[in-house]
Amino acid sequence: MKFKRDQVSDEIPTASMADIAFLLIIYFMVTTTFAATRGLDFSLPQEEDTPLVEKEDSVLIEIQPGGNLLVDGNPKQLDEVLDYLKPKLEVNRMKPVIIRPDPMAEYGYMVAVFDELRQAEDKIGFEVKNVSIPTQREIEMFWY
Amino acid sequence: MRLQVRSVQNQGIPTASMADIAFLLIIFFMVTINFEVDKTQVLLPRTDLRLEIPKKSAYISVTEAGQIRVSSGEEISVPVPGPEDVLSFATGVVAADPSKAFVLKADRNVPYSYVDKVIDALKQSKAEVIYLLSEQETVDTTGGTGG
Repeated sequence: MKFKRDQVSDEIPTASMADIAFLLIIYFMVTTTFAATRGLDFSLPQEEDTPLVEKEDSVLIEIQPGGNLLVDGNPKQLDEVLDYLKPKLEVNRMKPVIIRPDPMAEYGYMVAVFDELRQAEDKIGFEVKNVSIPTQREIEMFWY
Repeated sequence: MRLQVRSVQNQGIPTASMADIAFLLIIFFMVTINFEVDKTQVLLPRTDLRLEIPKKSAYISVTEAGQIRVSSGEEISVPVPGPEDVLSFATGVVAADPSKAFVLKADRNVPYSYVDKVIDALKQSKAEVIYLLSEQETVDTTGGTGG
């Protein structure tokens, strides 16, 4: 008597592999969000004995709500700041430049001013090395 | 006369290598993906100068309403009640890794007083460097630049 055996395929079925893989790709593409990974670096002072700066020896950039700038008390546009700084920094490259935003000024304006100062090397030929952004606590402690 | 039988042409599209291509794409995605530790939606300030931020940096986000979230860079960010809690968070991060970079992801419209307290906390915690997260400055339709 003859028994009929079922023929079993000795290959792994891979027909649906592409479907699974493409589903995974679609999942990755839908769930991926492009993270912003760039910005401006700002080094913080490390030493306790950071020298105090006389107001008269520095350039003070005040940022008012709405983005108006006062540079040493004079109203200036953002693109005029470096031109104002250039002759002062030519005399003293280490002249401190203090950015002091009003507590109610929008943060974006502070970043815009800092960005402008960081581009000094391209715009006026040398960098502004000594930029300081004192916090309100530091102003209350040391400002006079 | 005997006519030669035409060879039968396969009408199907060969899909045998489809899975290989798809898996290569998946591997590419998995290798290049950057997991975002902070998904807070903010309008970032715009800058011309933008430097690459080191991976695994600690994140502090501040929304327009002043809500703060923090992450050490290893896990998803968590909300903190106020700027005072940023100091204890930052002190812990700096104690574990003194050279750790902090990323400040603040909304461009948030009043500066909120950011001031965060920066003050970072200064007190002896953090070395802060990155002010920004997006690329673009020329707007009116001809000026945003900011």
